Amino acid sequence: MSAQNPSVPDNLALPAPLVVIAAQVIGAALLWGLLTAESTLVILLLLAVMAAAFAAMQIRPQIEENIVAAFRRSRRLALMVGLVLVLIWPFFLIKNTYGMHLVIVALLYSVLALALNFQLGSANIPNFATGATYGIGAYTSALLAINYGFSLWATLPAAAIVATAFGFLLGIPSMRTKDSYLALVTIAFGIVIHQMLNNLSWTGGPNGLVGIPAPSLFGHSFMSPINVFGYRLPAQANFYYLSVVLLGLAILSAKRLHESRIGLAWNAIRADELAAKSQGINVAWYKILAFAVDAFLAAFAGTVYAFYVSYISPDNFTFLVSVTIMTMVIVGGMDNTFGVIVGAFLLTLLPEKLRIFSDYRLLFVSVVVILFLILRPRGLFPQRQRSYGGH
Amino acid sequence: MTKAPLLSLRGLGIRFGGLVAVDEVNLDLPHGHITCIIGPNGAGKSTLFNLITGIYKPTSGQVVLNGETITALAPHKIAAKGIARTFQSSRLFEDLSILDNVIIGMHARTKTGVLTALLLPWISRRELEACATEAGDILNRISPELYARRYEPAGILPQADRRRLEIARALASHPKLILLDEPSSGMDDRDTAGLMADIRRVMADTPGLSFLIIEHDMRLVAELPDDVIVIDYGKKIAEGDFAEVRLLPRVQQAYLGQKAVENA
Repeated sequence: MSAQNPSVPDNLALPAPLVVIAAQVIGAALLWGLLTAESTLVILLLLAVMAAAFAAMQIRPQIEENIVAAFRRSRRLALMVGLVLVLIWPFFLIKNTYGMHLVIVALLYSVLALALNFQLGSANIPNFATGATYGIGAYTSALLAINYGFSLWATLPAAAIVATAFGFLLGIPSMRTKDSYLALVTIAFGIVIHQMLNNLSWTGGPNGLVGIPAPSLFGHSFMSPINVFGYRLPAQANFYYLSVVLLGLAILSAKRLHESRIGLAWNAIRADELAAKSQGINVAWYKILAFAVDAFLAAFAGTVYAFYVSYISPDNFTFLVSVTIMTMVIVGGMDNTFGVIVGAFLLTLLPEKLRIFSDYRLLFVSVVVILFLILRPRGLFPQRQRSYGGH
Repeated sequence: MTKAPLLSLRGLGIRFGGLVAVDEVNLDLPHGHITCIIGPNGAGKSTLFNLITGIYKPTSGQVVLNGETITALAPHKIAAKGIARTFQSSRLFEDLSILDNVIIGMHARTKTGVLTALLLPWISRRELEACATEAGDILNRISPELYARRYEPAGILPQADRRRLEIARALASHPKLILLDEPSSGMDDRDTAGLMADIRRVMADTPGLSFLIIEHDMRLVAELPDDVIVIDYGKKIAEGDFAEVRLLPRVQQAYLGQKAVENA
């Protein structure tokens, strides 16, 4: 660690713009490789490349520092290149609808993982009910759309309000407990929600809700393909772009809260609750706020998911979903937005692509968590210290 | 002319079941004053701090700050009223940077809410930048070395620097009163001398600020405070100038035991 402000890096070996473009293109290429590779061998090879990159960073932290410094220096360029890559992405997957589907699911899981990150990552609240608030969002939207003809755009805020109300509802009793007891309260909440969805008649019981109408925007139905420059993107591309916008919103929220006194207050609670109280931080309020923010974003993801698959059932929102989301945050890196997204993509894609292990999905998740807690307890990309301009 | 006291404790007490940990303590702390609390281990000194800062709810009595009753308010509200504290074993936000530790000390003075942070991010960003500047100044005044290392995590600091940082964090809230719980514990003579110099400098910089300090290091107790309060078995048994208080038989008895005093 240098005593210097991390935003004022040492001289870089390579020019910053080059590092930024190379890192983003290589990242996108790796993802593309993972998505399109058919043979297990190629996938394992790609994983080995990633593992080697992380091993290199583990041994020589300076590499990671330099890359981060390059991104901080050429922030605009990084954003532009990123946007371009995201926009042209579907063109590389025109024939591969399954790959496209996986990306959409990974994007939605990224939103969920970022939602949970406000709690688990920022404030160390082990909330095992993100799957439940995700389900509440999805069901609220689906019910409004099927029964009252709400459009996707109208259900988004409605679902967010309902789920946030549930978030508060869960947050208030949770304040009387902490650590493992708090985890138990949230597990119970998740199971209660799952059981209710399973047993109530107006939620369709175990059969769920079918026939959620496809959304449209400015007369363009999300069921129809997108035609641009003579290319014909499959209808899924609509939901891809929608999910990208949603993830963009989640990233923006995460960044803005992280760079405010709210993010600092959450981090203070994570480090030492009693000391946080003594600094004038209303610990109970900030914890409830974390529940509410988590529920709000999870409901957005749930809504988009419901409209995307047009059929939801209680089994989409089980305890295992919550555990998976939690694993994504732990693997990616607590309170590091980029890391959490990487974690979400890896844990969405790997179980799908490594089909030979598909019977051992839960085992896979457990082994990954244990390995990470031992080898890299703060995740692939640990939280970085905040930097302040001009100091 | 007598000015109203900064902090008054009126018959403050707490019992845990049958144990009376703090018993009817009355106390007036003036503005701009350093007061030390001494007493044997287990006398109830830290418990008294926890009563003042709202961590424990008293079973009797009142805490009055500047004429306002703050008894049994939530700890974060009492902190916001202007009482900052440090803990017996330091409680820093270990994984956060030294600078962030000080900035968090300003929490009660800053206002940004969640909607402002989300919708008007430049306002919260500007607020935080202003905090960072002020936090840097505070650190620099307490210790230029800490300032130079301000982006390093607080957890790696040695004991003396941890105390300094805790005091900087306490100052960041612009308190009227700072409670220090055994600030010199784990320090050698040189560090303790530095600590006293720090406290004196802070007092000189901040008119009206008072310190209430629990201390066992008798050199510090003899040199630093304006007044000393002696607590034994939860009761205040003496107060005044240390040179006089130390000679009182009941104080010697509390520290050395009945027999030792009789044999002396």
